[in-house]
Amino acid sequence: MGRPLAIYSSRHQRIYLGLDRNYIFVRTGASIGRSLGPELWDDFFKGSRLACARLITLVENSPELVPEIRDKLIPRQKGAIRVGITGPPGVGKSTVTAALVRRAVKAGHTVGVIAVDPTSPFTGGAFLGDRVRMLSLIGDPHIFIRSQASRDGHGGLSPSTPYVADVFDAFGMDRIFIETVGVGQAELDVLTCADLIVLVLQPATGDIIQALKAGIIEAADLLLINKSDLSGTESLLESLRFLFEISARPTTIPAPPVLTAAALHNRGLDEAYKEIERLISGHVASGRIREKKRLRLEGEMKSSVLQDLWGRFAALTNAPEKMRTAAENLLENGRSPYPFIRNLCARITMEVRDERTNRKDHG
Amino acid sequence: MAEKKIKIIIAKPGLDGHDRGAKVVARALVEAGMEVVYLGLRQTPESIVNAALEEDADVVGLSILSGAHMTHFKRVKELMDKNGLGDRLLTGGGIIPTKDQDKLKDLGVGKVFGPGDDLQSIVDYIRKWRGSQGD
Repeated sequence: MGRPLAIYSSRHQRIYLGLDRNYIFVRTGASIGRSLGPELWDDFFKGSRLACARLITLVENSPELVPEIRDKLIPRQKGAIRVGITGPPGVGKSTVTAALVRRAVKAGHTVGVIAVDPTSPFTGGAFLGDRVRMLSLIGDPHIFIRSQASRDGHGGLSPSTPYVADVFDAFGMDRIFIETVGVGQAELDVLTCADLIVLVLQPATGDIIQALKAGIIEAADLLLINKSDLSGTESLLESLRFLFEISARPTTIPAPPVLTAAALHNRGLDEAYKEIERLISGHVASGRIREKKRLRLEGEMKSSVLQDLWGRFAALTNAPEKMRTAAENLLENGRSPYPFIRNLCARITMEVRDERTNRKDHG
Repeated sequence: MAEKKIKIIIAKPGLDGHDRGAKVVARALVEAGMEVVYLGLRQTPESIVNAALEEDADVVGLSILSGAHMTHFKRVKELMDKNGLGDRLLTGGGIIPTKDQDKLKDLGVGKVFGPGDDLQSIVDYIRKWRGSQGD
């Protein structure tokens, strides 16, 4: 469990994570378990769509291979722009995505689509239905669509979604559309995963009080009211205008544009696409997209380190088992969990050792 | 590490518009913990195999009640083989006479299901096939 990732490593020093006196070596960069065959990479870099599909399956199913795959992908990545499409269930995200993808291809882009639908927390299965709305895109060599189940992700995406985008980027796609599961108010994974966020809404889904709530609405770079042929569009527009009018954000940051569309009737999408491209150009020029990419890398490092540390800690201390027993006792006695937590954490020691003097002990 | 999920395409090729069966089967597979990419009605063999390739699906399931099963299964199987998906399972269901089931088997199609078959038998069949594939 967990990915092998150096906590700290140089030629002479390595960091060891230790527990009491049982030090274990924190592996540095080497991958554990099976490795990827060179044929897959050859095929992938030659443009084989099947190799691309298989590589995506590997990042989905084998998190332990992600470091190796990332190492190979990064030199080939050209910095494709990632557009996140998010919004509540049923507002037309897939239909809007399909319409935008068609326009992007027409404008000369090569497009990867990642369409995420929810995994059942009860059965672990998933019904991936986004392709049904994207039938008009199928068979175009400039488009690659991948459906994903959200699996362990609870923020609207799958944990592997960012790596799927990396695969597309290295495969030569320059625009990547990432469609989230239908979200409520606080599924915000798309915030870090995408360079630009399009929030799709529809009329008659709530009053100004809903719009005032924190969350996804603050994250949007563009708001698109779909199904604008339905009544209630005007009052939603008004609520949103009011919302951004009273916002205390500095005047240097403009309010996000609010557009209307009726994707099923193919209305308003040319304007929406044009606006997205305008925003992308602006964000590239202002350095905002670079900032997003930096934040993504920082997040990847942090979560990899956390996962790695937790994996080792759990293996060494049998922590999950102990926690289950402790939780039973705490429930029984109505006690606070913090003495247990302090006790467990107090047993962790970290030590930097000089590799040259200790090589014999750990070689 | 998460257990390997079985990914399966469910599609209806051709013009037959009866998709209730496909939906029932898709739902049963989801409840059995599989990841089902549902394509729905009016698919061409090309669009089905294209989806199977992009999704790296383990299994392709066709639902055909129109009588055109020999044509559709044959063409989908050909395209799967041509696109490097010869090692994936092609299966399905519908109104398919016993004599045609044997012919389909000769083409390399897996078991096909019909009226009266238990949903669990479909789940079991797919799981068993996956289990026999090794890694």
